[in-house]
Amino acid sequence: MNFFKKVQDKFSPKRTETEVAPSVAAIPVPPVETASSAEAPKVGALDRVKSLIAVGSGKGGVGKSTVSLNLALALQQQGKKVGLMDADIYGPSQQHMTRAVRPKLLDGDLIEPSDYEGIKLISVAMFSNSGQAQLLRGPMAAQVIRQFLSQVAWGELDYLLIDLPPGTGDIQLTLAQIAPLSGAVLVTTPQEISLIDVRKAVSMFQTLNVPILGVVENMSYFICDSCEKKHYIFQQSGGKKLAAECGAPLLAEIPIDPRVAEASDDGRPMFVQHPSSTVGQAYTQIAEKVLAQEQMHRGSDGALGYFLLEWK
Amino acid sequence: MADSNRVKRIWQQDERTLGIVWTDGRKSLYDVVELRRQCRCAHCIDEVTRELKLDPDSVPESLRPVRIESVGRYALTIQFTDGHKTGIYPFERLREIG
Repeated sequence: MNFFKKVQDKFSPKRTETEVAPSVAAIPVPPVETASSAEAPKVGALDRVKSLIAVGSGKGGVGKSTVSLNLALALQQQGKKVGLMDADIYGPSQQHMTRAVRPKLLDGDLIEPSDYEGIKLISVAMFSNSGQAQLLRGPMAAQVIRQFLSQVAWGELDYLLIDLPPGTGDIQLTLAQIAPLSGAVLVTTPQEISLIDVRKAVSMFQTLNVPILGVVENMSYFICDSCEKKHYIFQQSGGKKLAAECGAPLLAEIPIDPRVAEASDDGRPMFVQHPSSTVGQAYTQIAEKVLAQEQMHRGSDGALGYFLLEWK
Repeated sequence: MADSNRVKRIWQQDERTLGIVWTDGRKSLYDVVELRRQCRCAHCIDEVTRELKLDPDSVPESLRPVRIESVGRYALTIQFTDGHKTGIYPFERLREIG
């Protein structure tokens, strides 16, 4: 079953002819080429995407979507071509945080991703009516993810960030199986109850052999506007502790700033509105460190990326 | 810490042997018929009780792979001539048995 076709049919009866391709085929099979080459094609629409990075945590409500979007913008600021895929099928946030419009269906099987400030963006929320729940069982949700990877015309990108849903289930596994992830950025809040879940994500990424590029500690502290003191609302140094446990760097400690929530609700993210704030600067720092970490992990051991061997 | 070795080179050694060189330089050879018998997919082993559902003797010596493909960064999958293609072989496990 084709998700895009289904939602187009279901939710947009008044669509124009140009928006909808006449027939949307089933998921294209990844191209079949010769055996064992690191440069072999990956998945159809991803073949010009240099690096896929998952932003995950295992825990809900720690700010994965906010971090993904602002990090995407900060990476772009570093001169990179960036895309962002909202893989949270059940609780998609990227559309609200950017107000990005519904993507267009191109001829054939492909969907042109939406654009926000030069970031190529796709989210299931762009295909459904606001407030409409996605009632999908695991395999269908995984199918949507497959289509986001294989039917979206991502084009040439340096980085495609994937905003993961919480948990360690179907969506995460599907991604790790069909997308050659080059790394994962973990997001946590400082307190132990958050770390407990994030450790499960660490274990998942280790099992799936996805390098952990670093840990972002979000909501680290609040600076009171009258006393300038750092108040550690959710305890202190959880991110540092987690980073040490998984042998990855702490990318930043991002303070609580009410403008972050405001900016997200306005559809104009913090990094766009207040790039020189402490939060904005933290994202620049995260982007720089992510670039360095990704370079370090890239192909240093001579491992094959995608391979296919035909038996004779 | 999990074994993070990946495939550096993969080839068909002979009619029924698969060769892999890992990123740490170790070389492993696998009998493809034996790999089919070692399949841990939900058709071959009970997901809850871990009881073997596949009768190893039912796998003919003539069985061969059709194609072998990577799965993400951590495993490979084999499509066999009997149509079976649901098995995922994590590199970590392949290194244990090879």
